[in-house]
Amino acid sequence: MISVRVIILTWEFPPRIVGDLAGYVQNLAYSLASQKYDIYVFTYQENGDGQLYDLDGIQVCRIANPVRTHINIVTWDITLMTAFEKAVADVYYSVQQDIQLMDVHEWTCVPAAVQLKKAFDLPFLFTIHSLEEHRSHFANAPLNIAINNIEALGIREADTIIVKSEWMKQELDTYHPGFQDKVKVIAPEKSTWMEEIIALYNLLSDVKESPA
Amino acid sequence: MMNNVTVFMLSWEFPPRIIGGIAAHVHDLALALGQLNLDVKVITCDFPGAEDYEEIDGVSVHRIDSYKYPTSNFASWVYMMNLNMQESAIRLIRDEIKQGKTCLLHSHDWLVAKVAIGLKHLFRIPLLATIHSTEHGRRKGIHSEYQRMIHQTESWLANEAWRVICCSTYMAEQVSQLFHIPLTRIDTIPNGVNSTQYAIVTASPSFKRQYADPHEKLVLYVGRLVYEKGVSVLVDAVNLVQRQTNAKFVVVGDGYMRDRLVDQARRVNAMSKMFFTGFLDEESVKKLYHVADVFVIPSLYEPFGIVALEGMASGAPVVASGVGGLAEIITHDKTGVLVYPDNPESLAWGINRVLTDPGYAQWLRENALDHVKTFYDWNTIAQTTSTVYHQIVSEYLDGSWRLKQQSE
Repeated sequence: MISVRVIILTWEFPPRIVGDLAGYVQNLAYSLASQKYDIYVFTYQENGDGQLYDLDGIQVCRIANPVRTHINIVTWDITLMTAFEKAVADVYYSVQQDIQLMDVHEWTCVPAAVQLKKAFDLPFLFTIHSLEEHRSHFANAPLNIAINNIEALGIREADTIIVKSEWMKQELDTYHPGFQDKVKVIAPEKSTWMEEIIALYNLLSDVKESPA
Repeated sequence: MMNNVTVFMLSWEFPPRIIGGIAAHVHDLALALGQLNLDVKVITCDFPGAEDYEEIDGVSVHRIDSYKYPTSNFASWVYMMNLNMQESAIRLIRDEIKQGKTCLLHSHDWLVAKVAIGLKHLFRIPLLATIHSTEHGRRKGIHSEYQRMIHQTESWLANEAWRVICCSTYMAEQVSQLFHIPLTRIDTIPNGVNSTQYAIVTASPSFKRQYADPHEKLVLYVGRLVYEKGVSVLVDAVNLVQRQTNAKFVVVGDGYMRDRLVDQARRVNAMSKMFFTGFLDEESVKKLYHVADVFVIPSLYEPFGIVALEGMASGAPVVASGVGGLAEIITHDKTGVLVYPDNPESLAWGINRVLTDPGYAQWLRENALDHVKTFYDWNTIAQTTSTVYHQIVSEYLDGSWRLKQQSE
């Protein structure tokens, strides 16, 4: 049996639920685990101890922010992501550098994803659930510009981008033109959702067939 | 062992980008380490007109994109800049590791904390942090969320570092207390001064007359006009000095306190004996050191006090308040005069002690110059720093945290 080890980076995961992201990633992680993927979820928790533990068949690591006081979400995110980098690096070295794929959700995990990609040559899959242009439409305050730039960095550096609808693909082309070639539409409501995800995972991680 | 080591010096400023004192420190230290045949690579922010890559006397300097988009404040910019710096540094470190080199990170202040800590864990390489000053010290306590974030970032860096370097015993104790770092993990290594650069300056008598009348002694202050520098104490001392000596007080520098200080000088009728020059170029400052009859440093807070070294190297007798690093650099009655901080009477006494006794002033000058050349020479400092590098690298190589090379 081929082992495909995948790390998932997400700033929300149950019981921490901010929006739809937490439920989506939970469903994704367990669906993949049932297909015999080796899943490691790295997520934020205020008092997380940064240790891996088994949660019904997946490995979860809940990470605290090393700097507690912050003035905005960008500074908060960047120090947190440094702790993510440490947590992933520790796993990476403990499994003899044998990680096949990094699945990254939303801009908040991009600062860590980019460094991990550059340091370890990990294939970088970026799932975009919403855009800063949608969340803060026409906002051009300096903070929005910084978030936009982090989002753009992820779009530029990702090997493949997943969006959930054709409409979102068009929106992405409007606000971040030039990357349509690497955007895949995989709708979670479709019955073939998991099959399409697995096909993409196998393509990116260089595995020819499902490990199941 | 050290010939297989590459030192990555991380700094947000490096000449020609000069914002505070770190630029000169990192420049002089890196070059002096290069003279010891250490492989030093500086990673720093870009600057208009400066090359992205250059070699200066064997030290390689890499300048990164420092993030030019708007951010909501300085600290947010710092963190965005750190993202860019880390991306560039990863590429450089991987190249060194591929060649079988052992890498050591040497970071300067919280401004590069994120990149330093990220690189440490990604590559399992040791980190040495120089803490030049603290937010707590700069602000006399922590009074806002913004300051607390910086304070916690400093603490994060100090705790992640294998060892910490401070420039004075005073700073070492402060860092130890603020961030709960045992003193055994802190090395005190002073700042240096390039003394020959100050000794060779000459100034004509007419230069001095631009600042003081021929019958006036010249009392010099150089520094930012901010609260912690204690210039208002100096203003209060002006008329106390005049009771014994006819002196002109030349205040060089600028800062948010300038208008308040000028108002204060008018109020106490000291304005006719003062000259606020504003910011002056480096050459003029060096000449002023040279012609000054006494150089004063009335600081209320001073982690180190590099201006004291500059004054001493220039041959100006120094009168300083006995706080922080100043009290460590200057030996009272031997290499300078130490006075009570925040005390105009004491400061005036010290100034007159020097101005009224030329033999004493000359004695201080000679002792000070001797002292600076012996203890604050960059070659000596680089030697001490490389001893710290050596200690860290040997502990690291003996330990189990590092990654084993495939050949091992």
